[in-house]
Amino acid sequence: MRSLMCYTNPGSSLLPSSGLGDRPWIRFGSDIDRWFETALSGLAAPVFDNRFAVDVYEDKDNTYVRAELPGVARDDIKVEIVDGYLSISANRKTLNGENKAEGSLSVSRSISVPENVQADKVAAAYENGVLTVTLPKQEEAKPKTIQVSVK
Amino acid sequence: MSLIQNRVPTFTRTPVDRGVQDRPSPEPTVRPRHEVKETEEAWGLQVDLPGVAIDGLEFTAEEGHVTIRGNRGWKVPPGWTMLYRESADSPYELVLQHDHSVDVDKIHAELKDGVLSVSLPKAEATKPRRITVT
Repeated sequence: MRSLMCYTNPGSSLLPSSGLGDRPWIRFGSDIDRWFETALSGLAAPVFDNRFAVDVYEDKDNTYVRAELPGVARDDIKVEIVDGYLSISANRKTLNGENKAEGSLSVSRSISVPENVQADKVAAAYENGVLTVTLPKQEEAKPKTIQVSVK
Repeated sequence: MSLIQNRVPTFTRTPVDRGVQDRPSPEPTVRPRHEVKETEEAWGLQVDLPGVAIDGLEFTAEEGHVTIRGNRGWKVPPGWTMLYRESADSPYELVLQHDHSVDVDKIHAELKDGVLSVSLPKAEATKPRRITVT
């Protein structure tokens, strides 16, 4: 559990902290909880810095790449296939509440994709903050019968 | 020993004292990435919930804390084989405490593109008041 509020030192309060009496450590427990929360919070949350979570799936016709990209406008997502790599880059606009200044955060990632992808038929969809890229597989070259006429 | 216990109650407290039993769910959950901002009027909360649709979202404001729970609506379609996985299946859960300075009736929340934006207006009593000195 974490507080919405910034931590204020109880000792710095305007009012004398009464009731503590001869048990000065009564607040100690919640302090320790808070330190652990703060120290470990970075481990628990997925970090949206330059690596967003990516999943790869496959069925018999397609390879699918799902990327978690919350809060990105569709126009700010770029999906490219270069040299056997699928590159996803996104630009997330952030609104600063106080001065309404607009910031942005760019993230990008490249994933190696199978060689038999039809690069011109790649499709992408974005829903609920998750981008799904569908990469159709190349149809296997069909065996051809060559008739050789023997003279 | 009893002297220590009397002086440092932390040593003897049970999980109940730590609020562990408050957890609404025994199943594992992921704490979503979130951001809290403060203005004079309100607290602004932004939570990243990729994969959560509006019907998978639960937002409750109880005594002293707000709870956000999000279930990912997407399931792996039949026939798909997983090759590589980074995301998790477990639902998101975020519990934030407040000291009753939030006007619970005026909370406004909006979910768009996997981002939940919540505005938690401050209760009138806790807003800063200018006091005229005569």
